[in-house]
Amino acid sequence: MTNTKTDQRSRPRLSARARRWFADHAHAAYVIRRLGRYVLTLWGALTVAFIFFRLIPGDPVSTYLASLEQSHVHNAEEAQRIVDHYRELFGLNDSLFDQYIAYLRQLLVSHDLGPALIDFPTPSQIVILRALPWTIGLLGLSTVFSWILGTVLGVIVGWRRESRIADAVTSVALALSRIPYYLVALMLVYFFAFRLAWFPPMSAYAPSIERAFTVEFLVSVVKHGTLPALSIVMISVCNWLIITRTMVITTLGEDYLVFAEAKGLSERRVAVHYVLRNCWLPLITAFGIRLGSIFNGSVLVERLFMYPGLGNLLVQSLLMLDYNTLQGIVALSIFGVLTANAAIDLLLPILDPRVKY
Amino acid sequence: MADSHVRSAKRAGAESTVAEINDLRVFYQTNRGMTWAVDGVSFSVGRGEILGITGESGCGKTTMANALLHLTRPPGHIASGRICLYLQDSEALDLLKVDKARLRKIRWRHLAYIPQGSMNSLNPTMRVIDQFADVIGEHTSTPRADIRNHVVDLLSQVGLEPQIVGKFPHELSGGMKQRVIIAMAMALQPDLVIADEPTTALDVNVQRVIIQTLADLRDRMGMSLIFITHDMAVQAELADRVAVMYAGRIVEIGDVRSIFKSPLHPYTRALIQAIPHVEGERVCLQGISGSAPSPTDWPSGCRFHPRCPAAMPVCRRELPQLLPVEQVGAGPASSQSLVACHLHSSVLRGRIS
Amino acid sequence: MRFLRAAYKLWTSSAKFRVGLSIMGILVVLGAGQSILVPIIGDGEDPLEIAAYKQWLPPSSDHLLGTDRYGRDVLAMTLVALVASLKVGAVAGVLSTIVGVIVAFVAGYKGGLLDAILATITEMFLVVPSFPLLLTLSAYVRAVNLAHVALMLTVFSWPFAARTIRAQVLSLRSRPYVDLARVSNLSDLEIIFQELLPNVLPYIGLGFANAALGAIFALMGLEVIGLGPSETLSLGIMLNWAIGWGALSLGAWPMLVAPAVPLVLLFTGMTLINISLEETYNPRLREVARIEAPRGNGDGELH
Repeated sequence: MTNTKTDQRSRPRLSARARRWFADHAHAAYVIRRLGRYVLTLWGALTVAFIFFRLIPGDPVSTYLASLEQSHVHNAEEAQRIVDHYRELFGLNDSLFDQYIAYLRQLLVSHDLGPALIDFPTPSQIVILRALPWTIGLLGLSTVFSWILGTVLGVIVGWRRESRIADAVTSVALALSRIPYYLVALMLVYFFAFRLAWFPPMSAYAPSIERAFTVEFLVSVVKHGTLPALSIVMISVCNWLIITRTMVITTLGEDYLVFAEAKGLSERRVAVHYVLRNCWLPLITAFGIRLGSIFNGSVLVERLFMYPGLGNLLVQSLLMLDYNTLQGIVALSIFGVLTANAAIDLLLPILDPRVKY
Repeated sequence: MADSHVRSAKRAGAESTVAEINDLRVFYQTNRGMTWAVDGVSFSVGRGEILGITGESGCGKTTMANALLHLTRPPGHIASGRICLYLQDSEALDLLKVDKARLRKIRWRHLAYIPQGSMNSLNPTMRVIDQFADVIGEHTSTPRADIRNHVVDLLSQVGLEPQIVGKFPHELSGGMKQRVIIAMAMALQPDLVIADEPTTALDVNVQRVIIQTLADLRDRMGMSLIFITHDMAVQAELADRVAVMYAGRIVEIGDVRSIFKSPLHPYTRALIQAIPHVEGERVCLQGISGSAPSPTDWPSGCRFHPRCPAAMPVCRRELPQLLPVEQVGAGPASSQSLVACHLHSSVLRGRIS
Repeated sequence: MRFLRAAYKLWTSSAKFRVGLSIMGILVVLGAGQSILVPIIGDGEDPLEIAAYKQWLPPSSDHLLGTDRYGRDVLAMTLVALVASLKVGAVAGVLSTIVGVIVAFVAGYKGGLLDAILATITEMFLVVPSFPLLLTLSAYVRAVNLAHVALMLTVFSWPFAARTIRAQVLSLRSRPYVDLARVSNLSDLEIIFQELLPNVLPYIGLGFANAALGAIFALMGLEVIGLGPSETLSLGIMLNWAIGWGALSLGAWPMLVAPAVPLVLLFTGMTLINISLEETYNPRLREVARIEAPRGNGDGELH
């Protein structure tokens, strides 16, 4: 009794007719709700980002000018004319609201972010798009690989939870699980790139090789990408192991597992059809949720290796105070993560026969 | 009917017993220490016999059921005991000592299980047909097409329509899931089925169907059934023999008629008396005073003595053993009554001395 | 006090807690003792003064970790830097927890639209990669002292605390004893302080642990890029210098190892404490944590 009362306090009120429609079309209602949440959160996050960028003292042009002033002599009047010109160019003379609308339009519709200071006057979006494939490649492969490896190990460790080795592995994985990728990267670089010289310490490929789909190029890419990927994988695997293990152990305690044992089914069949089939969907959801923190961690890794991805670009633009590029990267990362999560949530009911909306 | 008994007895090589349990002890390891949920249980089950096990909640019925299937899991542990199975096409074996591979082969094919609250026993991500197919495929080499027909047939026996096969468990009601499990238990015509409260969550009509089906199976296939329920009325209908459990031990075991007509143990007597009569005068029902003891805190001596109207001083000191009692017009050995009560053992001792 | 008793119980029952707390204990002691240890290292002089010693000295009995490019004793630097990291992490953690508690209680207790909004904001901060935003903020607001940095870190760490606490507030709020308190005419604040807070306390501790972890990561990230507090010596800045000065190629491993090891220990220690708290107080995880199962003695003894 009490529970329904407090439940109702948490949900916004709907008219009786609306509620009935939602009850009848559960799946459609779920899709609408989830899309609504997606749009709302996306809008909210982009707006917060906008506010952030406007809260910053000074405006991008004056700040950049101020940093230039420190290293060069300047003519005040000329400088002012240039500043005014660029203010116009960057739309900084418009009202805050107009800027906001322009911002949203830039991001969502025209995808034209204005010139980048890093590589003036190339538009920011070009600069970002140049870096994007590298991040997608590095993060994509690392994440997928660590997800697979971590999940398999997690199942093994969860299945044989009585063994001492499983316990030890779990404790180690737990302890390491929140060490930043960056620290691992440092150690890897020091040992394998400098002391042992097995792998190159920076860049995505040897600068002497031409960028083309040749074997030589691809080998170089792989060699250069190994240490950055390894830094991410080593810790990510720990995380997936833990998450999977928890899921497996929870599932193992379910009644249908006891029943499966009573049926005398082989271990392999039980593992695949009774455990994994019931585990894997929450794992996919967990994957989506972790995307944001994986990106957070990868920024520093890319920076250390000077890997030409979004993370490195982010730091470069930061140090140069390249406003447009910064805005673009922030918006892109927000968009990417939120969209991935929404896509996963929308795919879930289709994949899972028993999801209740 | 008698024919099938004889036939199956011959097939089993003159053994008319399908299972013999000796001094089974199961404990739970909890924060408060070890608690003995099953404390020295012994009985036997004949071929084609339905043995009913009854008792209040907390007496250890389900723990024993799990142990009989060697499904006990931590924090529960089987401390000691023997569970001898006399299977149709093989020799006798001790379930607790068999190696894992052999155990797996025996499961379901010879020893099936209908768990309590079967609602959660079906895999939520598999269709009904697949959950039949996997166990049938595991233990036999029946081709897929035949499996489907077989399953439809099994389901019809429990009153379910063929459409069920393609459904997922969450699309079925609780009662339907229960019946699916029962149908699955019969799929391989096992020697022994252990059913833990199979009819509890069902409405009376479905109950009727289930009881009828189980009886039919016993008649047709010579299947033995250990049937656990606290519902004495169902015991009366279905069971051949009844074992009454109290606080981890069997306090009385005997032919169903003897149990109901002349219960020996005071606890059994109270249970029988608590059944309301449909016909006749309205009588004030007698409950049993007090409440069932918890395994962490069993009374000394006879565990029923605090609630027993006929308690004697010796009852507080000594734990009574399960001993046979002379029955007038006794049948074969397995239908002899056994009771664990000082009232009766003193009578016995009195006669001997 | 209940708190000490709970801490003691945790100490005796969880090996992870023991290890984690010990690691943190050692780090805190080292950091706190820096005011004593540093002069000892300096032996009368200030070991952190530029050109106090010759530059790039390898580790020896005089300088256990050698010296850096400016001739400063690396061990002394590490100790001072450690204190800075601990301080900022603690302050940011505490502030985040306070904000998180307020948000969690307002959202969890009041429910309704307010909860929906606050919960969405919390989730937004957690799902969306917030590190870039923090970096941006600090790039433009060049933080000078530890206080500013701690404040900025708080803005980014509070959701970690809020999420943990809100879940518990929600689950407790619908318990019968809260309704009982409501019926007996206690004001909302009284209910919060008398009934809910004591039971949420372990989760507040957990929230603090989570927030502190997030804050230390963000702090390290800022410092490593060079956006950290500019007037204080910190572990991250040492790493930044190590890379900038080519310590890697020079083979000057102390510059790298000296800040990296305490950082790794910091994360590992906090994580272990975090996990032991979760395992003890999160009922779902309690079953998952290993249970000791001894064999029976089989002679039917009654207990």
